[in-house]
Amino acid sequence: MKNPLKNNRFLVMAALFGLALILAPWLVANSFQLRVVMLFMIYALVAMGLNILVGLAGLVSLGQAGIYALGAYAVAVLATSYGWGFFPAMLAAIVLTTIFGIALAYPTVRVRGVYLAVVTIAFGMIVQNVAIDWRSVTGGTLGISNVPRVDFGFGELGTDGLYVLIAVVVFLAFLVHHNVMYSRFGRSMRAVSQSEVAARSLGIDPTARRVFAFVISAVYAGVAGGLYAYLNRYVNPDTFSFSDSIRFLLMVILGGSGTTLGPIVGAGVLTWIPNVLQAFGKWQLFAYGALLAVVIFFLPKGIVGTIEHWIGVVRNRTNTRARTPEAWPKPSDEANALLRVEGKHHHGAVLATSGLTIRFGGLAAVSEVDVSIERATVHAIIGPNGAGKTTLLNALSGFYKPTEGEVLLRGHPIGGTRSDRIARDGLTRTFQNTELFADMTLEENVLVAFDSRYRGGIATAMARLPGHFGEERLMRARARMLLDYVGLADYADEIARNLAFGHQRRLEIARALALSPEVLLLDEPAAGLTHAEIDDLIALIRDLKALGITIVLVEHHVDMIMAVSDHVTVLDYGQVIASGTPDQVQDDPRVVEAYFGTAAVNPNEQGAQ
Amino acid sequence: MSAYIQYLLSGMVIGAIYAIVALGFYIMWSAVRAVNFAHGDTLMIGAVISVALMWSGIPLYLGIPIAIAVAAVFGVIIERIAVRPLNHGSSSIGWMLSTIAIGLMIEAFVTITFGSDPRSLPSPLMDEPIIFMGAGVFMHELLIPVAAIGLLFALDGFYKHTMLGRGMRAVALNPMAAGLMGIDVKRVASISFAVAAALGAVAGILAAPIVQVSATMGLLLGLKGFLVAIIAGMSNARGVVIVGFAYGILERFVEGFGSTAAREVVGFSVMILLLLIFPKGIFSPKEVQKV
Repeated sequence: MKNPLKNNRFLVMAALFGLALILAPWLVANSFQLRVVMLFMIYALVAMGLNILVGLAGLVSLGQAGIYALGAYAVAVLATSYGWGFFPAMLAAIVLTTIFGIALAYPTVRVRGVYLAVVTIAFGMIVQNVAIDWRSVTGGTLGISNVPRVDFGFGELGTDGLYVLIAVVVFLAFLVHHNVMYSRFGRSMRAVSQSEVAARSLGIDPTARRVFAFVISAVYAGVAGGLYAYLNRYVNPDTFSFSDSIRFLLMVILGGSGTTLGPIVGAGVLTWIPNVLQAFGKWQLFAYGALLAVVIFFLPKGIVGTIEHWIGVVRNRTNTRARTPEAWPKPSDEANALLRVEGKHHHGAVLATSGLTIRFGGLAAVSEVDVSIERATVHAIIGPNGAGKTTLLNALSGFYKPTEGEVLLRGHPIGGTRSDRIARDGLTRTFQNTELFADMTLEENVLVAFDSRYRGGIATAMARLPGHFGEERLMRARARMLLDYVGLADYADEIARNLAFGHQRRLEIARALALSPEVLLLDEPAAGLTHAEIDDLIALIRDLKALGITIVLVEHHVDMIMAVSDHVTVLDYGQVIASGTPDQVQDDPRVVEAYFGTAAVNPNEQGAQ
Repeated sequence: MSAYIQYLLSGMVIGAIYAIVALGFYIMWSAVRAVNFAHGDTLMIGAVISVALMWSGIPLYLGIPIAIAVAAVFGVIIERIAVRPLNHGSSSIGWMLSTIAIGLMIEAFVTITFGSDPRSLPSPLMDEPIIFMGAGVFMHELLIPVAAIGLLFALDGFYKHTMLGRGMRAVALNPMAAGLMGIDVKRVASISFAVAAALGAVAGILAAPIVQVSATMGLLLGLKGFLVAIIAGMSNARGVVIVGFAYGILERFVEGFGSTAAREVVGFSVMILLLLIFPKGIFSPKEVQKV
């Protein structure tokens, strides 16, 4: 996944796959074997779609056979009972499965993981049993037989003709599958699955990405189902059981989820294996289970994933160039041009709250807070542990909805607005416990944040329309520039999780800056940093302020607050107890009391959460 | 009227089976936040071993405890080899796939050794149906809901009044803190899977006289048991049993007025709806999302 522009390897892969599809009819011994190849291609189609869902979006579906069934039945019914031709019937299958893809994505708004798996299992069961019970349409357990052959108006397609048709569809699907994976859409789907909060703080709507993943996987399965109806010319409910859903998922895992070739390899192995396992006689099913167990235990990344892993290990061994972090910030004209805020929009406070209250159950974590943050200043929010600082930050950035009161960005109310919208509107943040996309490279981490800057849409990415590569190159250059700005250019192709902690903080800041924010909220950026790193951080904050960026700083590090802040607001038990310049606040007796307590305060309450 | 009573009674019977299966899922989930996805197979193991031992001349009062013990050992092995090595955090699905793979092996093995023809386990309590307001029910069937409720109370008592049970509850709430307090989290995991598998075997043996015993008998029962546990919320044994009963009764009524397929369609649709209304399960306490 390192550099989609260097797609020579993919071109070779695609050429080989295309060649294999062309040669296959000459390599098989008889038409039965050719049918097995066609079945494999259909399964590969389902698996590629599922790979987008599982490998990119991190959502597990155990009901894919249900979607596959919808496609198969739609085509079988329309072609057989209503005499529809290939294209209208397939189009109907695509529309139907799209609708169900959206419907299945809806639960992800609320449930994830094993809960989502349960929803998809139930969905698969419902489809199969509707097929059994809706006899007037589906033919019940007997199913629909005599599905007409494909006919484009110049005679019915025979086995060879159907082969060509399926091969063309699968090859195109393979290209689109790759193009989605290596585009801003694939990137942001992976980002959402690795850290949803970070993705939201960078302006990405997780729901939209999940719906997109579900729809792609559903359309792939629907088209596969339609092709299956034409291939088999007979559909019945037995083909679409829970164990078929499991097999589709296993194809993805076995081949290597999240890889380009994985689903094809997985589909190939699982289509071909039963023929091999026939040698085991009655132990065939047992051997099948044993094989799966072996793969899951010993090749958890799947076949392709494991191979890629070892290629990567060998490469790293040969590439032992030492990488050195550079000092930061390293301003450049390009970086300044990208980050400079033109203060033309609005006069007065850029960010403010009025009577802001956040309550969890009966407990008010923030109560009646009024703050007013001036443009291009550094505004620190301090207070003892549990004072409500992070809660306030979460409310400002849209992660919490105010119970009462309002948040105003440039004078416009944003309380209750989704965090990704607020981010696109110019307010972003970093997190107390860094939230990186841990399994993506540094460059990809920053590129995710550029997502809302792309003008090319889904079609541009899928079909590599003109403009795609140019825009991708531009964003990459900008990402490199920001990594350079924080002194991490040398690490651009490293995986984020391998970074030292201080560097992770830098990356998180570079990523937030990619949005060219007007307001940047930093949640304890100095925590865990060395003295030298804190000095760099101070220089960065001053630098950003000079560019017109408003900084809201939640911090414990007193020296740093004194050094950079223009204004300090002190919270205790969710309320503002002091507000003013650093010097004013430092001498405020209430502040001293909040931090150190006085004789009148019960010492047990010190530092209470 | 008698039809309603009939549906209600037979719904309670099947619902009690779901409840016992779901309790097993709940116990496993509490311990390790993962389950044996092929838990249905422990039902099958319990029933199949009981039948096989009976056919080889070993009396039921010996055969049944042996079957339950074998299932418990199976549960411990599954946890050790298939769940523990592959359970890394909330998003991992490795354990799901590994337990499914082992389930496939077990089912294939049983089909080969036990035969693919379903057999039945005779119960001494299935001779004469009891007629109750026009509805017929066997003594054995009435035993099943009683057993489900009895097991629930036993489990409750175990959790509340034994050192081990308290430790298990602590692990359910916070495994890390429990481990720091000196509770052997791995041992709790083993014991939980053993108890869950034993419950599964009990459910299988109780169901054996009224459903056919075969290698695949556990598939649907296990799946529905899992759904029941998820819908109930995986955090409350009583809730799990209540949802199990409710689901069984719903199923029987839909089947009575519709068909077997309609039963599945309505049942699973209701499950999805409930999960959308209660994303954490019906009986789960509300949690505040933290960023």
